[in-house]
Amino acid sequence: MNDDIPNNLFWLASYPKSGNTWFRSFLQALLSDQNKPFNINELSTGSIASSRLWIDNALGFDSADLTHDEVDNVRTSVYQWSSKQAQEYAYHKIHDAYISDTQKKPLFGYSGIAGALYIVRNPLDVCISLANHYNVSIDQAIKIMGEKDYAIGASTHRLADQLRQKMGSWSEHVQGWLSATDIAIKMIRYEDMHGQALQTFMQAAVFLNLPDDSSQVGLAIEACQFEKLQSQEKVTRFKEAPPKTERFFRKGKVGDWQSTLTKQQVQTIIKDHYTVMHKLNYVDDQGKPIV
Amino acid sequence: MYTHQLYQLTACSDLYCPELISIKELNQTSKPDIEIKKGLATRDGLSEADQIGPYLYANESRLWLKVPDVATFIVEEGKRITYQPVSGIDDQSVRVFLLGSVLGALLMQRGYLVLHGNAFQVGDECVICVGHSGAGKSTLAAAMMQAGYPVISDDVCAINDQGEIIPGFPRIKLWKDTAKKLGIETQGLRKIRPNMEKFDYPLGQQFCQQRLPVKALYVLNSHNEDRFTVQAITKMDKFYAFQQHSYRRPFLVGKMAHEHIRQCGKFSKKIEMATIRRPSEGFQIDALREFIINDVEQRLAPQAASI
Repeated sequence: MNDDIPNNLFWLASYPKSGNTWFRSFLQALLSDQNKPFNINELSTGSIASSRLWIDNALGFDSADLTHDEVDNVRTSVYQWSSKQAQEYAYHKIHDAYISDTQKKPLFGYSGIAGALYIVRNPLDVCISLANHYNVSIDQAIKIMGEKDYAIGASTHRLADQLRQKMGSWSEHVQGWLSATDIAIKMIRYEDMHGQALQTFMQAAVFLNLPDDSSQVGLAIEACQFEKLQSQEKVTRFKEAPPKTERFFRKGKVGDWQSTLTKQQVQTIIKDHYTVMHKLNYVDDQGKPIV
Repeated sequence: MYTHQLYQLTACSDLYCPELISIKELNQTSKPDIEIKKGLATRDGLSEADQIGPYLYANESRLWLKVPDVATFIVEEGKRITYQPVSGIDDQSVRVFLLGSVLGALLMQRGYLVLHGNAFQVGDECVICVGHSGAGKSTLAAAMMQAGYPVISDDVCAINDQGEIIPGFPRIKLWKDTAKKLGIETQGLRKIRPNMEKFDYPLGQQFCQQRLPVKALYVLNSHNEDRFTVQAITKMDKFYAFQQHSYRRPFLVGKMAHEHIRQCGKFSKKIEMATIRRPSEGFQIDALREFIINDVEQRLAPQAASI
């Protein structure tokens, strides 16, 4: 592969349960016929970066017959190939951390990638959603978020639908993406997607080369208001929801931690992630949460 | 040289393939259907080929495939396979890809309709289960075999123009966890590659060596619900399902692509098809097996009643 690859792929990057699906809903609403009712089960934005199907279709052989490290070593070529084939910008969700392959080359930042929109959410709220998503206790979710070597689909004894995704801890995930210098990065906060919706989504739209007419963006925000996604899910099961999870679009509330987490749980999260939380204005200099 | 049989073809190979049936050397007057030889596998002979993937080039009669850090392969005219291993790589790793995508390309070049699925014998007919990687095809094939339904092919399913499945070769690839849950002991089984916990499970007498007509085709899928569902595939959706689950569709270039459309159209009219969705959580292979057996029996029932 050489450098004459058009930069057609955008990553929609985030730690899980940080608003990525909500953002994809916005994207779908913005790019589709705004007279047509928005449907949560028709999110036709690009495949997730860890899609085994995407990788296998491009490779022409089974990634299931490669080791996890061997798969990582071919992912770059697949994304570059896809960028070359794309006729227009393509937007792909990604939960992997910003890592390198065994040759120390970045897996997600090179020619072919137009940039990454990174969505960040207060870890005090992330842990509640994560616990619900993984069907684990909040304490277990807090532990997962603090684990340096945390990875999804990393078993060597069975095949997962998706490729191994090394995520690291919540702090490492955020720091990795936000300090990437190989590609353009734009960070938005989940809290601002709620509090300053139009301004935040407009900034994202401009970065992603999407239509950035404010009335169009406003209509798309309205079409996929969190409450609307929730009411659709009450009627039809959301196909991307994990099994055993009653609701994917659960509360979507900013500051839910205040009435859900114990003091101990809040302290553990702040201890684990103080540096990054402080940088992102989630805690003050004294380590107290900023509400 | 070793002489093997696969997909009812004879192969002369300088690489011994224990996964395949070994046969007596052919006499001097008979030529093997396939030649498998180690050699230089550069892209030089494929100057007019299209690049169809980051590691793939193909024209109507040739395909070049590279598996980084393992080997490069050239498949020509449905007759010859040249492989060039990366220095120091083990034979098992080369064979995994040789007996997968490379063989699939060869079968396509020979004009078969090749599906990504497994087939097992039910009475005088067979049932195909197709699905993407991870859909549980090999697990299901192993479970069907345990229930007394011989396996005709695993992963690469070739259909001839008469609509018959061609017997592949007698092995299933099983992950360690799957084997354990099926009560299959992996100690003593050969790993598909030295660093992977995935094994070659020889089918032995449970390999069906007959060509059989296809009774039904199931698309295996999973969903986030806690139940099994079956939904008939009808009309044009049958054609699309054939296309979607064709093995390595990008390999089909030029006339091969047109022929493939004709085949999909022809067979989709003849075969009963349904999508089966299983719960994505948990390992409910017994329930899936029962569900499929019941559905197949219902499909066979009207025939039995009319005899």
